Order: sequence, then structure tokens, then C-alpha cells
Amino acid sequence: MDPKAQELAERIISGDETVAARVISMIEDGEEEGFLVLSTLYPRTGGAFKIGITGSPGAGKSSIIDRLAYLYGKSGKKIGIIAIDPTSVKSKGAFFGDRLRFKSAEKVEGVFIRSMAHRGFSGGISKAAFGAECVLDALGKDIIIVESVGVGQTELSIYLISDIVVTVFTPDFGDEIQLMKAGLLEIGDVVVMNKMDMPNAEEKAKDLIAYIGDLKKDAPPFIKCSAKKGEGIELLLEVLEEKRREKLGMRREKVKALLLTFIKEELSRGIEKMVEEDPKFNEILHSVQSGKIDPYSASVHFVSELLKDGKMEDYKWRRKG
Amino acid sequence: MEEKRIKVLIAKPGLDGHDRGAKVIALALKEAGMEVVYSGLHKTIDQIVNMAIQEDVDVIGLSIMSGAHIPLTRKLMEKLKEKGIQDKKVFVGGVIPSKDIKLLKEMGVEGVFPGGTPIDDVIEAIKASVKK
Amino acid sequence: MSSARYIKNEKDQILDVILESGIHVKPVYTPKDLEEIGFSYEEDLGDPGKYPFTRGIHPLGYRSRAWTTRQYTGFGTPKETNERFKFMISHGQTGLNVAFDLPTQMGYDSDDPMAEGEVGRVGMAVDTIRDFEIAFEGIALDRIGVGLTINAVASIILAMFQAVAEKYGYDPKTVSATPQNDILKEMIGRGAWIFPVEHGVRLVGDIIEYSMKVMPKTNPVSVCGYHIRESGATPAQEIAYAFLIAFAYIDNVCKRGYDPDEFVGGITFNFNVFGNMWEQIAKFRAARKLWARLLRERYNVKKERNLFLRGIFGGGGYGLTKAQPENNIVRGAYYALVAALSGAQTTALCSYDEAYTIPTPHSALISLRTLQILMDEAGLRDTVDPLAGSYFIETLTKQMEEKILEEMEKIEKYGGIIKAVSEGYIQRMLARQAYEIERAIERGELLKVGVNIYVEGEPKEVQLHEYNEESARMQIESLREIRRTRSSSEVKRTLKELEKATRDGKNVMPYLLECCKAYCTLGEMTNVFREIFGEFQEPSLF
Repeated sequence: MDPKAQELAERIISGDETVAARVISMIEDGEEEGFLVLSTLYPRTGGAFKIGITGSPGAGKSSIIDRLAYLYGKSGKKIGIIAIDPTSVKSKGAFFGDRLRFKSAEKVEGVFIRSMAHRGFSGGISKAAFGAECVLDALGKDIIIVESVGVGQTELSIYLISDIVVTVFTPDFGDEIQLMKAGLLEIGDVVVMNKMDMPNAEEKAKDLIAYIGDLKKDAPPFIKCSAKKGEGIELLLEVLEEKRREKLGMRREKVKALLLTFIKEELSRGIEKMVEEDPKFNEILHSVQSGKIDPYSASVHFVSELLKDGKMEDYKWRRKG
Repeated sequence: MEEKRIKVLIAKPGLDGHDRGAKVIALALKEAGMEVVYSGLHKTIDQIVNMAIQEDVDVIGLSIMSGAHIPLTRKLMEKLKEKGIQDKKVFVGGVIPSKDIKLLKEMGVEGVFPGGTPIDDVIEAIKASVKK
Repeated sequence: MSSARYIKNEKDQILDVILESGIHVKPVYTPKDLEEIGFSYEEDLGDPGKYPFTRGIHPLGYRSRAWTTRQYTGFGTPKETNERFKFMISHGQTGLNVAFDLPTQMGYDSDDPMAEGEVGRVGMAVDTIRDFEIAFEGIALDRIGVGLTINAVASIILAMFQAVAEKYGYDPKTVSATPQNDILKEMIGRGAWIFPVEHGVRLVGDIIEYSMKVMPKTNPVSVCGYHIRESGATPAQEIAYAFLIAFAYIDNVCKRGYDPDEFVGGITFNFNVFGNMWEQIAKFRAARKLWARLLRERYNVKKERNLFLRGIFGGGGYGLTKAQPENNIVRGAYYALVAALSGAQTTALCSYDEAYTIPTPHSALISLRTLQILMDEAGLRDTVDPLAGSYFIETLTKQMEEKILEEMEKIEKYGGIIKAVSEGYIQRMLARQAYEIERAIERGELLKVGVNIYVEGEPKEVQLHEYNEESARMQIESLREIRRTRSSSEVKRTLKELEKATRDGKNVMPYLLECCKAYCTLGEMTNVFREIFGEFQEPSLF
């Protein structure tokens, strides 16, 4: 075992925040060292309860997390928060503003807040988010809350890295109904309607409950909140704790799906470049571009050729692309 | 592709609430491909150092318009040392008279950006400091 | 700084001018332009002093009275500030505008750990009424209007002001203070907020309600488009947001059962003067007209004098440069000219060294002299609204009016000013605009003499105001002395009553007055509010 990784892992377990933060960055940046530490830590994780929060931008996810973390913290639990923000497609930069909203959470002892850019990873989280969870778990956090990007359509990955997922709506939901059909709601183990202080909120809550009833047989618990006023958060915490046991039983299945996702990602990333450099690819691409063959048939043909040649073996594992 | 991104904390220490400059720089650094954490207003040095640790930023940028840049920066530098994270590069921007630049650099500040510094100079200085 | 964008050909001829508010300026204006906008003297202008007051609120303008000069002043201990007040008054300044240090603005006592390094730095330190006793010693409070640049804790400072006025034997009915008392703009721009929006607005309402009864000559609010503009707003946005903020305060007081005619006359404004001069002049004229019209339409205000848009037009901070600092003296002169041509009732200028630090007596005096030269030498008192009837100015005034209304509508569509400020809608927009402006300066699209054109190399150093750590030490000492000598049972009692009144939703002003008289500290009173109200949640930026 790598002695340096061993040492870093020990320091995290002994509660060193600086090292934990550094190792999360290493995982984000794809540094070998980070994964070595992670593999050392991994057997020691699993104790933390991981809560995912998803919902549209402006739904008040951060405020709910702030209050929830505060309540958990007050009961003596150590909290980790991972807030994921989008990476700009154009500049590759990111802006983290969520910390501003974690004002009450900041006041409790032992809160560790980390912002992460999703860096192009699909599914509403960053690829390193799972690694960050493991690090915070090893650091001794009892509760880890992950806030998804919340840009809509595909927030499915948060399901894989959380034990339980809370989907947040507001009374002015509208287009979200379309999202529900697309799966946003199906991943919600708990549904929260925030901003219940808005006019017509009660009516809208009824509408949403009806929609959910139509969509799902076992409707998830529905909680009305006003994070701004701190109302409904205690109930949310109770429900989360109630469902905790049942949800932990799903970890094996989730980790399988996560592993498959990572494999797919690694494969496609590694292969893409090799494919582009392959002369046969350029040949077939030319045929597609000049209209001789359609892209469907071309892809099937290309892959079967590849497998036949035994060329797959040449496609090496490439983390760094 | 995973690669090293520069992560910066733009912080407003103390009671000064003039944040036009801090916001402009935060936006500019994001557009330049950096990951930017914004502290918000009225933060204590302890809060800022805590953020810098948890976010594992490469760079801390202090924006100070009130004239209190000397005591605030001194306190930050001491705290960074105490926490063993003096490897973070520190930049100070705001209303900074030229005569104070030397003093700030002696404290270990990497660069000082008085009002009117072109944005691209700020971006370049940050990039260069992280490469070092 | 050029604020307009100029489209030029290769021969440096101007093909188009686009003002910040989005209006295109034509090369020539003729009577046809007035025809096209449907200009009517009666409806659009009216005589000076007559509705809709486009030409000014006084029939004779500066002939009857020159503008009030009110340079922003204050630093160190109350004693140092008192000396500077007297210095400025002895040089012909006709009003005061008190600058407070950041701990005071944020409700911390000078010995609070949060105040470290900031005591007396950007303004005068205030802890108890004792500081006001010293600061206003020997100043005729019944004759000189006093601006108090304070917002989050304006209620406390105004109570302190009343207490000291009474102590010096003035009837509160005769003193004229203008606490800035505009918390919403702090949330947009200047950042000196403490309490959440709804509580902040409540305190503004308390001050308005109290002033109308107890200090009728006091202007309880100065709504500051000024800082909104400093944060990146266009001139049209500056006026639009300020008006919406003013309406939010008016609504708060109306809900208490008052008729707007009872109090809207006390609401004043603070607007900025940098930028393209024609656009600013049109801005002020359009603002005066719109304010009168909107008060009539929205609130059915009847008394004519309640329709006056009064306030201070001045400052110009963002227009100043650190490079070639003396140029700022010249800029200041043009800004002041804009204010005079716009019929400013009160004015002040940022001093040429303010890009570095707070002004020295020398630089503050240059600003004052600039204002005096306009009134006493250049002829700005000769006739009212000298630009009236200009094809260009009248067209532009009308166009500005439309732009202001457009900007107001955008916010109302979003859900109103309170929502737009709480959720950061305006802050995000202004930050983006500020960024674009900075980039445009760097690209040379907006010209700044000494910065991106006619550059001179190494910047010159100017003589600067030096912060005196000794002042801070003395301030803390005097605060401790008061804590030792005051009656602690009185302090406890008055604070307890303040707490109860605050919780019960009563007007806090009479209770604050009692606290001030008992030598409660600013921090003690603010903490009562902090406990009950909590803190403002700064919205996320992007």
C-alpha cells in the first residue's frame, strides 16, 4: 500500500479537515493519489446517512438544506454538505453561491461545506461527488447532504449516490410536471413543497398531490415547508429518519448501478480518442458524411469489425484521456 | 476530461459592503474558466479561513474598500499560518494606496490589485501564481 | 468616463451615439422632433414651480435660494468630526452630511471584536449619545439641516439625534435631519444591511410615522438611486428602482392607516451625477415630472408641495479615477454643472482623492469651492431651468421618462421590488452590467481619460487622509467610561421596554429615545433588534 496515501487516509480518519478537502480536490482533478486514498478509506465508510436534495433552480433547495443541517447539527450530529453547481459549457468555469445560503448551518459545530462544479458529468451531480461523500464519511460525518445542480431533466445520478432523495417543489411549479413525467419525481423518496407562504400554496399542494397520485402507486410522503420561516423542516427530518432503515437496504443495488455508470463513462472516455485516431473510423466516417451509409449501420459495422479484429485489447484504460 | 482547475475564494472580510468590484472579479474569473467561491458580505477572517480550508481553494482574493486592508490582511496571513495552509496564494484588491503595496507583499501577499487594475491582469496574475 | 457608446468610422467621425439607457442620440434636433414626441409646454413642462415640476419645484429656482451644499463629512472621534463640521461651515457650507464609520453603520460598538481596525476609519464612530453631544456641540441645529448617512440602524441614530437636540434645548419640531434610512438600496448596492427585508422596511416605516408626528421638519428617508447607479445601474434603472423602493416604504406607512398626503412630502431622494451629461439632465427633469405624476396616479396625493421631488443630486464617485487624480477636480466641476442645470436643490461632490480614501480638508474644500463658483461666479443662479425648450433636451427628457417607466414595469412584472431585491434579481443584473462596463473600458469602447486614453504611465500619489489608530483607542476608552458611569438599572429597564415594544410591533422610536437618554449603546440597542429580527439572507449571485 502507498505509504503517503495511507498517511493521508489516517489523517482524514482522525478528523483533519484540510487533508479531507485536499483529497476531495484530488478526486475531482482525477489525480492517482486521490484514488489511492479513497481505496484505503473505502472499507471504513458506510456509516453516514446520505441525503440527496433535488429540484428546480429557485425551489429553495439550499434553504432547506440549511435548516435541515441546523436541526441535525443541534441534535449533535456531524454534518457534511456537498453543493453541486453547474460548470459553464463555454468557459468551463463555475460560480458557487450556495455557501451564502448556509448561514444557520455554519453556526453549528462540525459542519463541513464543500462546493463542487459538475464538470460536465451527467445526472445532476459531479463525478467526484461520490468520492467526496466517502471522504466526508471517513472524516466522521453522520449526515451527508448533497444538493444537485437542479437544472432539470436528468437528475438521476443523485439517486445512485444518496440513500434517500428529497425532491423540492414550489407552489409555482408548472413545467416541472413535464419533468415529473421524465422521471424527476420518480426518484423522489420524499416530496417537499417549499414556500408554502406563497399565495395559493395550499391549492397548489393539493394539485401536486393529485398529480403524484396519478403517476405513482405508492405515493411518497408529501411535506409542506417554508424554509424561510423554518416551518416543516422538523417534520422532514422525522420522515427521513423514519425511512432511513428501509432505504439503507437499497445500497447494494445502487452501488451496482453506480459502478456500471462509472464503467460506461470510463470506457467511452478512453475509447473516444482512440476511435478518432483509428484509420478505419475515418474511412467509415467519410462514407457517412458522403451519404453512402447511415450512421446507425456504420456504428454497428464499426464495432463488430473492432471486436472481430480483437482490436479492443488495444484500447487501453485511459483515465487522463 | 478531468484536469486541474483553478479554484478561487473571493472574500469580503470585515464590515465593508461595497461589493461591485468583488462581484465583477468573481464573474471575470468564472468566465476565465476558474471555479469561484464567493464568501458573501461581512465575513470574519476565521470564517474566510474556514471556507478556504473546506473548499480547498488555490487562491484567496480579499476585496477591501474601507481602508482596513492592513489589519485584515495581517490577521488572515497569521491565521493561514496557524492552520498550516500558507500555501494558498493571497491577493488583495480594493482601495489600496501605493505605499501599502510593499507592506502587504512583505506579509506574504502574492499580488495587490488597486482600483483600476485591468481585469485581464488579475486573471493572468492568478494563473501565474498557481503554476508556480 | 464616457458612458455612452460611440460608433465611429475610421476618420473618427461619430455615426451613432447610444446612451446607457439605450436611447440613440441624433446628430441634429429640430422642431420636428418635438412634434414627433407630441411635446406640449403645458403638459410636459409647465412653468417652474408648477405641476408637473419638470422645470423645478420653485418658481424662481436659484434666484430665491441657491442650492444647499452638504459635503459628506466625518472621521475618527466625534471631536475631530465636530472640528471638521465647523471648518466646513466657516467656509460657507450650508448643510451637514454626517459620515459614520462601518461599526456604527453595522450596529457594533467600538469595542466589539467585529469593529477591530474600523473604528473611526470611514466616518465618525458613534457608541452613545455622548458622541453626538460632542459632534454637534456649537452647531445651530435649528438652522442647519443635517444629513445622517445611516440605514440599517437609522432608527437608533435618529433617536440619538433627537435626544441630543433636546439636550441642547432645541424643540424637535424645529430640527431638520435627513437620515438616509433606505435599507432596500443597501441590499442592492452598498451592503450595510443587518435585518431581513420585512423588518428592515418596518423600521423605515417606523421612522416615517414617527417623524411626521414628532419631527415634522425632518425628512425621514432619502431614497438612494445613487448607490444603485454606483453598482452598475443605468440612469433609467437608477430612477426606476428608487421610485419603486419609495413606493414600498409608502405602502408600509399607508398600511398603518395614514393618508399619503400626511407624509409623502418627507420622502426625498439621492441621485448620482456621473455619466453622459445630457442623459443625466434629462434623467433629473424626467424624474421630477414622473414622481409628481405617479404620486397623483398611484396614491391620489393632493397637496401640490407633496408632489415635489426633493433631494440631493451629486456625488459622482464611480466617474472618478485613481489615475491622474487632479482630473477628478475637473470632472467634479462638470458633474456639479449637471446638477445645477438640472435644478438640484441640495448637492455635494465626491472629492478628487476619494478613489484613494476619505477626503482631506483640502480636497473637501476644493469640492465646496467648485459648487460655490457655479453659484456665485458662473451664472447658474441667473434663470430657472435654462435648457428648457431645447429640441434635444426636451426630446431626451421625454425618452428618459419612457425608459424609466419601462424599467419599473420590468420589476413589477417580476413580482415587485421587494421580491426582486430579496431574490437577488436586481443584484445579479447589476453585477452583470458592472462587469460589461469594466470590459468595455478595457476594450476602449468606453473612454476614461488617464485610464484608457491619454495615459501617463506611473500614477501620481496624492496627499491622503491618514487613519489615526489613536482615535480608535480614545473612542473605546470613552465608551468604557460611559459604561462605568451610567445607571445600569436605567439601561436594563429601557432596553427591556424596547424589546417588548419591538416584539409587540409598536413603533420603536419612542423606546429608542428613552434608551438613548439612558446612555444605552448603539450595539446594545441593535442587539435587541438582532435577537428578534434575525439577519438578512444575502441572495446568491449567479
